Amino acid sequence: MDKEMHIDPRTGIILLLLSNIIAFAQSVLWVNGSWVCILALLMFLCGCGRSAAKFLTAYLLLLILQYKLIPVAPKFIATSFSIFVNYSIMMYPCIIIGILMIRKTPLRHFIVALRKWHLSTNFIISFSVALRYFPAIREEKGHIWDAMKLRNIHGLQRMECMVLPMMVSAINTADELSAAAVTRGIENPAPKTSLVELNMSILDWIYIGMGFIFVFLAIYIK
Amino acid sequence: MTATTATTSQKLKGKDLITAGIFAAIYFCVFMIGQLLSALHPVLWILFPFVIALLAGIPYYLLCAKVQKPGAVFIMGMVTGLIAVLSGQDSVIEGITFLIGCSMAEIIRHATKYSSFKGNMIAYIFFSINAVGSPLPIWLMREKFFAKISTLGMPADYINTLDALASPYMLIVLFAAVIIGAVLGSLIAKGLFNKHFKKAGIV
Repeated sequence: MDKEMHIDPRTGIILLLLSNIIAFAQSVLWVNGSWVCILALLMFLCGCGRSAAKFLTAYLLLLILQYKLIPVAPKFIATSFSIFVNYSIMMYPCIIIGILMIRKTPLRHFIVALRKWHLSTNFIISFSVALRYFPAIREEKGHIWDAMKLRNIHGLQRMECMVLPMMVSAINTADELSAAAVTRGIENPAPKTSLVELNMSILDWIYIGMGFIFVFLAIYIK
Repeated sequence: MTATTATTSQKLKGKDLITAGIFAAIYFCVFMIGQLLSALHPVLWILFPFVIALLAGIPYYLLCAKVQKPGAVFIMGMVTGLIAVLSGQDSVIEGITFLIGCSMAEIIRHATKYSSFKGNMIAYIFFSINAVGSPLPIWLMREKFFAKISTLGMPADYINTLDALASPYMLIVLFAAVIIGAVLGSLIAKGLFNKHFKKAGIV
């Protein structure tokens, strides 16, 4: 056994939702800031010490940008950048949890967690396929981009040349993937078993508790 | 006997679900593009659903052509909605508009028997309501919304323009724009279908 701690995927989803509420409740900066620090600590505990440090530094840089640089920057630059900066600061907790889950939660665990919540199997299948398909889209985009450069395609034609291969490959992937999945018994109506066993640890409960406390703080402290 | 075979073939199978999942991912990417564009100007921020309706027609119609069964469009929309809400793209209000839009589209598709272009187009107009939840907080909780974005330090210009634009009258324009965008998006998709996808033997 390694010494790293883990969070349950269910905790991850709950924390994500709570962070969303915290972000949209728009409280004072210290609530957002301390929640970011606590989540960075969680990242550290889960064995992502380096990214935790990186994320904290980036957060500090964003704050400096927001409160020191943008007020004195020329108007044009200020308008175009401040929305991005604002949004990033507001959404920072969500980003941290998202990254942590992408790094540390295999999709298999995620699916088991959703099954434990008794979501419809149909929904779980589509949801997990969608999550898995994002990297493929990015890769595809890169390839198409290179091909367009090679063939010197410009202007509005680029849109068409981007969309078409994307859609065709989406349909082909759907065919291939379903052939593979059907062979592995995706349409078998019997309840699925799993090697993965999920348990909520003390860490999970502590973090869920803290999440609720911060939601409370975010709503009542303005 | 025939009735039972008809109902079993109407059930979503593994392949249909995978197709819906893949198009949900593409639909979400369309949302990301829209969000990036909306940072350019307040008008684009308000007319965000118009942009989405214009762009999302192609994945929507491909799914419609591929899976002519109840529930496919609903699952595609709700998966995207859930990812959008979880990833912090949008508020819970958007989750609700997703639920409304997808359910309406599904009902219309059911009523028009899934295969006709006109039926799918009307369903697409309702499906485009999905994105309305993004600018809707401006009208639903106006003071709170503007207080919020100004404490965030959003530039005063942007806020003032947004405030001036977001009259109750604009809300009507918004819904009209959604309908126009959905119709235009449908026509774009139909054009591409005739030009390419039919030749490629995909639909």
